[in-house]
Amino acid sequence: MAASRRLESTPVAPARRREGSLRRSRMVFGVSTYVLLIITVALVLFPIYWMVITSLKMPREILRTPTLWPQVFTWRNYDELINEKEFLGYIKNSLIVASCVTFISLFISSFAAYSLVRFKYRFKGVVGRVILFAYLTPTSLLFIPLSIVIARLDLGNSLQGLILVYLTFSLPLSTWLLQGYFRGVPRELEEQAMVDGATRMGALFRILLPLSAPGLAAVAIFTFTGAWNELLLALIFITSEEKRTVPLGINYLITSDVLPWGTLMAGAVLSSLPMMVLYFAAQRFMVKGMTSGSVKG
Amino acid sequence: MSFAGRQALWGYLLVLPAVLLVLGLVAYPFSYAIFISFTNRVVGNAGEWVGFDNFRYLSDSPSFTRAIRNTITIVLVTDALKLVIGLGLALLVNQEIRGRGVFRAFLMLPWAMPGFVAFLTWRVLYQPIGGGINPVLSETGIHPEVIGWLGQKSTAMPAVIIATTWRGFPFWFISFLAALQSVRPDLYEAARIDGTNAWQRFWSVTFPAIRPVILVTVLLSSIWTANSFENIFLLTQGGPSDATMVFPVLAYFGMQTQRLGEAAAVSVAMLPVLAVLVIVVTTMMQVDDD
Repeated sequence: MAASRRLESTPVAPARRREGSLRRSRMVFGVSTYVLLIITVALVLFPIYWMVITSLKMPREILRTPTLWPQVFTWRNYDELINEKEFLGYIKNSLIVASCVTFISLFISSFAAYSLVRFKYRFKGVVGRVILFAYLTPTSLLFIPLSIVIARLDLGNSLQGLILVYLTFSLPLSTWLLQGYFRGVPRELEEQAMVDGATRMGALFRILLPLSAPGLAAVAIFTFTGAWNELLLALIFITSEEKRTVPLGINYLITSDVLPWGTLMAGAVLSSLPMMVLYFAAQRFMVKGMTSGSVKG
Repeated sequence: MSFAGRQALWGYLLVLPAVLLVLGLVAYPFSYAIFISFTNRVVGNAGEWVGFDNFRYLSDSPSFTRAIRNTITIVLVTDALKLVIGLGLALLVNQEIRGRGVFRAFLMLPWAMPGFVAFLTWRVLYQPIGGGINPVLSETGIHPEVIGWLGQKSTAMPAVIIATTWRGFPFWFISFLAALQSVRPDLYEAARIDGTNAWQRFWSVTFPAIRPVILVTVLLSSIWTANSFENIFLLTQGGPSDATMVFPVLAYFGMQTQRLGEAAAVSVAMLPVLAVLVIVVTTMMQVDDD
């Protein structure tokens, strides 16, 4: 012990010098890390900044030489959006569609994921694969046949029809994600409950689902935002103004007005604010879902 | 009934609703799309089988060939940019620095925004009147003249690529960051004892450990980018004169002309490439429970 300490302490001067230069190079490295990160964050946030300040500018200021800071702050764009356009109606429609889609998907996919993770039967691998395939099948391939199917079911231009077609992406997504969360719950807990007299359904509702609560919340947020943000299918299936969802209503602002940037950005702020708050609040357990290949990017 | 039999029965019952919906809402429309692409169906008339006529017609159509070229360009360039930016930022944020959580949260924001909001915001940013890009470029002295970024052929594609990358990189960043955090620290320690430098450590320890994640991310993102509709539709609608036209937008406009057979052929034409990507990525993502 003493010998080794002496051995270490012999070349004391060069070691200290090396340590000093190491610390200096580490500091330079640290500072450049910060500088790089701050520049990147500034660049990344600029579009969001522009969205917010444009929504707070007077229309005549937007169309004059643009300024990086509004000369006059105004709520006029928001006022126009809410009182002259049907924005609140769009919000209502989107809330109905997104909540129904989330509820139906979670309900059906909880059963499916439970079955796929915990039960033994033939063709299980095939079923799992079909669901994964369905999840990766792009909407751009499905919207033409879906329009024929929906017309045949007489569900065109209805929120029910929209809810039904949104299940094409939300159901495979939530089943796939829930499987991941269910796998994280030890099987023994359910087996113990069943030994104690719980039924299979009891084990699902009293053990597995409560223990996967953060996962369920994450999946609910993913499906809700997926339905809230969807544009292509809404463009095809909704034809009347009073049934428009938020993305659709905002999209039509462009065609109905000349250079409506102020109201457009006010709508952008209002429709993304709840989503961003949700993501910030739930960030920690969203990351797991996101990294298992869940959300488009 | 035996235990195994009862268990199997329960398994089937529980998965049945999901399977039926997936078959009805995805598998059936999927095969139906392929069938329609071989007919001359229009809205209101089922049409008849025309073999490869739609595909022959498309291969002669300049919009279609542009859409192929543009889709490939967008996928390859945004993939490369997102890889470099996503991995670079993940490596920076993965260090032991203060405010790591704040940086991560800010860098995730473009992804937390709804896609339609993101691309409408970029549309406004690129405007010659009311946009934010021109004033920044002129005030910093980089480029004093006003440019209509989305309106001219030479700048429309780069503009679309930048907006798409902005919206897409957080997914890569977060995936890579999570992967980096699961690399065993003792491997770095061992490599350091072997006297390797940071660059060698990246290639001998970090990269092999995160390679599967990189592969899945690239594949998933390529599938999504090749099929993304709103970025192009909201920014340029495929213009000016097809300079940014891609498959999904072309299929959408095709549907507006009511010629469903042709429109379906547009999206079916990309199926072979898509199928390969999907099969590879599902093989990598599939987990088999016993």
